[in-house]
Amino acid sequence: MRRSHHKDGGGPHPPRLRPPEHRVSPRAIAHWAIEYLLLWGLAFGLALGVAAWLGDEGWSGMPGWLSGRVGWLPWAVGTAGVLMVTAAPVWRYRVHRWEVSADVVYTRTGWFSREWLLVPVSRIQTVDTEQGWIERLLGLATIKVNTASHTGSSEVSGLPADVATRLAEQLARRAHDLRDDAT
Amino acid sequence: MSVRPETGEPAAAGPPPAAVAAGPRRRRLHPLTFVVGAVRELVALLAAGAAGLLVGGVSTAFYFTLAGLGFGLAFHVAGWVTFTYVLHGDRIELRRVLVGRSVKSIPRDRIRGVDVSASLPQRLLGLAVVHIDAGAEGGEGTLNAVSRQEADRLRRVLLARPAADGRPPRRLLARVSPRWYLYAPLSGAYLLTPFALAGSVLGTLYNLGDDLGLITRQRVESVGHGVAGAAPALAVALLVLLLLAMPVMSVIVFALFNWDFTVHERDGSILVERGVLTRRAVSLERRRLRGVELSDNLLERRAGVVRLGALITGLGDAAHRGRLLPAAPRRAAEDLAARVLGAVPGPLVAHPRAARGRRVARAVAPLAAVAAIAVLAGQPWVAYACAALAVPAVPLGLDRYRQLGHASDGTRLTVRSGSLRRRQVVVDHGAVIGWRVRRTLFQRRLGLATLFVATGAGDGGYSATDMSESDAVAFAAAITPEWLAPFIERPAPEPPAKRGAEPRP
Repeated sequence: MRRSHHKDGGGPHPPRLRPPEHRVSPRAIAHWAIEYLLLWGLAFGLALGVAAWLGDEGWSGMPGWLSGRVGWLPWAVGTAGVLMVTAAPVWRYRVHRWEVSADVVYTRTGWFSREWLLVPVSRIQTVDTEQGWIERLLGLATIKVNTASHTGSSEVSGLPADVATRLAEQLARRAHDLRDDAT
Repeated sequence: MSVRPETGEPAAAGPPPAAVAAGPRRRRLHPLTFVVGAVRELVALLAAGAAGLLVGGVSTAFYFTLAGLGFGLAFHVAGWVTFTYVLHGDRIELRRVLVGRSVKSIPRDRIRGVDVSASLPQRLLGLAVVHIDAGAEGGEGTLNAVSRQEADRLRRVLLARPAADGRPPRRLLARVSPRWYLYAPLSGAYLLTPFALAGSVLGTLYNLGDDLGLITRQRVESVGHGVAGAAPALAVALLVLLLLAMPVMSVIVFALFNWDFTVHERDGSILVERGVLTRRAVSLERRRLRGVELSDNLLERRAGVVRLGALITGLGDAAHRGRLLPAAPRRAAEDLAARVLGAVPGPLVAHPRAARGRRVARAVAPLAAVAAIAVLAGQPWVAYACAALAVPAVPLGLDRYRQLGHASDGTRLTVRSGSLRRRQVVVDHGAVIGWRVRRTLFQRRLGLATLFVATGAGDGGYSATDMSESDAVAFAAAITPEWLAPFIERPAPEPPAKRGAEPRP
């Protein structure tokens, strides 16, 4: 094997991807927070139920070391939920960005694990916009850019609805003009 | 509906002459088709009928059997009478007209592959099944069955591009040597085939016996007692026999499936033929070939053996139909890869040292987590077991790191990963339809990134795990400079510039 040809950052300016230009709408924070709240609220409720049931029944099949600690379960789930609802949406908002250049859709998504995705317009097969009920309340929309490969398909959530519609139309038109075989 | 003459059919092809009206001819499947179907049922029913006759004389069950046989025959004849196909200049139409009418029309330019296969009875009668695959947009169709010559003619005509005329030359690209069948025990799947075979045979026997009423509660119980009563030595002997049979059986099964495995090239498609009981021929269109995949496991790697597969867009069941070589010496596989796609780029660029710690940590972490929970829960034995398992996990992680690599030679790129099952994928630069860079929190701390190459074939995406961040961007930028250029940040040169301008590949 040969060593890396770029000398691991030893060059004068190692190439880096700059962040995409546009942020998503700040209302996306509310959207994600509501989503996490519903999900973790449900998990908390379930944990509470399980703990209460196990505590009352004194289920004999349960190993001894577990029975004393089952009361911790809702607390653990609750703490994780609070952290997720408060921290994750803001973190995601700071990471989520998008940009459409002349021939590439460039997005950055994620929070704990981040993904930079480059999809050339000429390889786009379909462009969808979607609105869930929370998104409709907040006037947001998700745009899905699909290519022949799942790995190469992009999704930007939290765009203002009018921006998403305009962008989808524009991308679909340009993809149609540029399209070759698209695989 | 415009009726066009049957273009693209070479004059040399010799279908049985028949009255040809103006325009494309409507054809039927081979008349022997319903014979095959009927005979298959006949055998099953005869067995049942004979059993019925033996057990209960001429009973209602026997008449039922006869009625079933008559009905089955009528069904097959009706299926044969109502099905026709027409080869038009631009499409092939499969129509079934009984009470309703269903016409399936497959555009010829959408056809991606034409497979011809024949089971043993079909081969004896000179028949073959033609399976037409037209990808997601075109659907698929099956002609079950036509004569061998007609199958060959259809394959030739359907896959011929308009320019081709006359019978195109067929060039041998590779042929599996019988000696390579001995590599079969190295792959785990073939080692297990004796069990699968024994299981399916026992299952069939049981079902058949059950259907015929031969299996009763008493008999099952008496067999059970017989087995329980037998000496344990017998059981051990059987087990040892089975273990000894495993490698031998795997070679036999492998040989049956891959008998006379040949790869030919003929007008723009790659033709793979294999098998002895069922001879399969798969045509892979060359213009849909996006890359190849070389895979091996630990044992195969030690023996220098790899399997070669093709990455084809829109190919269903790609794991089986995209196979270009079963277990074969590495040199032969690379040779074939070079013939169908181009040389495998190399040598591979190793990934940074930071990736090594990450591979080892990833191998050990799940065990460590389980051990930690076990200790907290006061189950020391589980923790000891995890510690014991962690010992082989470390060399596994190290080997995973050693196998990581990527390279590009200007026209093709390659990425490799995995240890127990190692995969090296070669993808044509033109087949890249997007890039994805993933960096988890841990990767960001170590300056690493995982680069995913998106393609429209195979798994849809292949990853180069834990490259250095700048390498990942530079690698993608070298392959598709026009996509990345607008987004690459080139900060003002920082203090000590050791080298001149960066070499642009």
